[in-house]
Amino acid sequence: MDAGFYFFEQIFNSAIFYFALVVMCSYIILCFFSALEMKAYMRKNSFIDYREILVSPYAPSVSILAPAYNEEATIVDNVKSIMSLHYGNFEIIIINDGSKDSSLQKLIDAYQLEKVNFCVNEQLHHKPIRGIYKSRNSSYSRLIVIDKENGGKSDALNAGINVSSKDLLLCIDVDCIVEQDALLKLVKPYLEEKKRVIATGGVVRIANSCEVEDGRLVKVHMPKNIISRFQVLEYIRAFLMGRMAWSRLNGLLIISGAMGLFDKEIVIKCGGYSHETVGEDMELVVRMRRYMHDHNLKYQVVYIPDPLCWTESPIDFKVLGRQRNRWTRGTIETLWTHRDLFFNPKYSILGLLSYPYWLFFEWLAPILEGIGLISFILLASLGKINWEFSGILFFMVYAFSILLSTIAVLFEERSYHQYTSGKDVLKLLLLAFIEPIVYHPLTIYWSIRGNIDKFTGKKTWGTMTRAGFAGNQKKTEVTAVSQAVDIKEQQNV
Amino acid sequence: MLIILSTGPYLENLFLHRLPFFPDNIKISLFIIMFCTIATVEIYLYVFLKKAKMKRDKYLDAKWKEKISNMLSNIIIYGDEDDGLEKVVNHFLPRFKKLPLNNKRVREILIEEIRIYHANFTGFTADVLKELFVRLKLYKYTLKKLKSRLWEVQVEGVREVAQFWLYQYDSLVFALTDHEHEIVRMEAQTAYVRLNKEHPFRFLDHMRGRILPWHQLILFEIITKAQHVKIPSFSKWLNSDNDSIIIFCLKLISHYQQLDAIGELIRLLKHPNEEIRRMSVWVIGKLEAEFVEEELLHIYHQETLKVKVEILTTIGRISSGNYFDFLKGCLDSDLFEVRMAAMKAILGHGKKGKIMLEELLDRVSIPNQGIISHVLDTRI
Repeated sequence: MDAGFYFFEQIFNSAIFYFALVVMCSYIILCFFSALEMKAYMRKNSFIDYREILVSPYAPSVSILAPAYNEEATIVDNVKSIMSLHYGNFEIIIINDGSKDSSLQKLIDAYQLEKVNFCVNEQLHHKPIRGIYKSRNSSYSRLIVIDKENGGKSDALNAGINVSSKDLLLCIDVDCIVEQDALLKLVKPYLEEKKRVIATGGVVRIANSCEVEDGRLVKVHMPKNIISRFQVLEYIRAFLMGRMAWSRLNGLLIISGAMGLFDKEIVIKCGGYSHETVGEDMELVVRMRRYMHDHNLKYQVVYIPDPLCWTESPIDFKVLGRQRNRWTRGTIETLWTHRDLFFNPKYSILGLLSYPYWLFFEWLAPILEGIGLISFILLASLGKINWEFSGILFFMVYAFSILLSTIAVLFEERSYHQYTSGKDVLKLLLLAFIEPIVYHPLTIYWSIRGNIDKFTGKKTWGTMTRAGFAGNQKKTEVTAVSQAVDIKEQQNV
Repeated sequence: MLIILSTGPYLENLFLHRLPFFPDNIKISLFIIMFCTIATVEIYLYVFLKKAKMKRDKYLDAKWKEKISNMLSNIIIYGDEDDGLEKVVNHFLPRFKKLPLNNKRVREILIEEIRIYHANFTGFTADVLKELFVRLKLYKYTLKKLKSRLWEVQVEGVREVAQFWLYQYDSLVFALTDHEHEIVRMEAQTAYVRLNKEHPFRFLDHMRGRILPWHQLILFEIITKAQHVKIPSFSKWLNSDNDSIIIFCLKLISHYQQLDAIGELIRLLKHPNEEIRRMSVWVIGKLEAEFVEEELLHIYHQETLKVKVEILTTIGRISSGNYFDFLKGCLDSDLFEVRMAAMKAILGHGKKGKIMLEELLDRVSIPNQGIISHVLDTRI
């Protein structure tokens, strides 16, 4: 009994405590790097006239790839919105991934499409293509629609890559609202970095409750739904603090699946998107990075702080839980697939810093938190708890969480201050006090469930239910109560 | 507040009396709690004070901007060209002199507004605005900006020199064309092209750094859209040690259709840099230099895939009709890109090419039929 208690005391009083300290220090360091990166980016780009890229014949060519599955309610408007992006040299490839509804017919009717004799260069593997469509109307000459058998998001993107004829690939979720100048901003790093840029990503924001007009976001509002509000804070923290810092260190492991711009040549050389994971966005970036290392090529993965893409967040805990569960499984799959990177000096920052960080702090930390909570309950029931010390330790973590979220709000205010009203800022700041107690334990739970599902062999994407952008009236408010549209019900593997 | 007041004595006892007796991890925790609390409060104060300051700045900026904008609009409305430049400037100058120009906010708004108006007007109005800028001695601040230690201020200065056509200061701008900061360098180079009438591209002779693609894009736009720029023969920079200068000049040679560069372009077909070789082939195609076709075929088999595809595209662009057999022979290639580019090159020969592809369609393998059908489909 004494030996057991000694073990607990040592582990939980020391090892776990110092692990937590390391996590906290890493967050502070990331904050610091993020601040540096954002400041540099904003100073540098305050002089930029993006119209120069728009009109230049030497701007890189871009293929926009948007997989669609059962999107009949919104597909026509979504394509219209993508077509209005400000850029000169681009094509839009919509991949109808075996939709069971009338998505394809709606596109054919709206854009006067007809089957063409397109010869595909089969560089990447994917399910058979049933037909490729182009418009009779020259106004829609940029649009290509691929109709293929259902194979999941990765499979659809691989088909799109094979059809693409441009140098860069912008992979987006078809239901996202993309800012009109997003392409101009995403392309710029490819033109100005001294090393070869293999991928760029921009900040993804929550569109719930925002005003949308003709597929464009016209006014930003704080979501009315509390679950979405938590995600606003979480996204600001993740994008403005985490990813910007990793971009500074050239250690980014993930470009959001909602929107990322990739070097096509490298994507093809790496074998395209993997069919073996539900976290295909992260896995691709890791594989591209290791390809560059293996071939001794200098490269960079860049993140830019501009809010370029607005997505609708889940509005109930059930759907959110499914999403987080999938993210956790995707992380585990990527980390496991590339396990030889772990502290491998050959891969410099990737092997020595990014990979271990993700392993210890993104994958392991929630598990440890869960174990900590169970142990606490266990020890409390045995009367082995010093309540005052426990309270102090709890309050330390709580105070740090609040500080971190407050810094995130500060970053938001100092950069793009999307939430212009003082009330919205105050709401965000106050949310920082509730989030560690209400929302964070749930994310831990979902993460642990993701681990359990992974190790018990669950391989589905899960059903992702969203409220939808409720029609496309002149001015539409994205409401949490609008009719649910089931948008993704794919079996990925 | 009640909670804070009620916990006050406990916290006082905790931090002032009991702290030394706690284990290390609890001491560290208490320190972190204190740090986080103070930092959070400070950030709160900062966010709200900053918001208030921004609101005030916005109000003041809008107020001065409106006033200055009205004054400048008066020049446009009432500044009659028949009165002559001197009379108009003398009429408006005293009103501008009454502005508190020692106030940095007002001065910067005035410079910015004159700059915007000047950029949007030509002829008499632009001359009046420039004269006003000079008579108000605002150029002194511009020159000060050029000598600033902050790169962003230097960029502002360079832009002002260029936009107000202060030709006499082109040497100051030239000194910045090889600046260590890439944005200053880029701005100075674009400004110098506008300011120097005799040798606007002199900076290419001594440039050490790489001209990044972004930088090339901006320079290309400025050069090709600027009026009254003396365009030299860019072939003289094609033997530069700086590969980015060669690539940039290749773009300009193509734009200005400088046929005198063809000799240098043939030499560049043996350049070690793949991108330069590819670009050279591309420019040869743009110049439709038929007599270089044989040379292109000569290097074809040793080339990389990218250059091979560019050679095939160029043969299609020149469309002399001398190499149909070679293009047809490309259908035996294992590489999809080569077969596709060759068939597109045949189609590039117009009606003759189209008939040839239609004849080929029945005689080739199924995969190649797919390629030819693709090429012949005008909707793609």
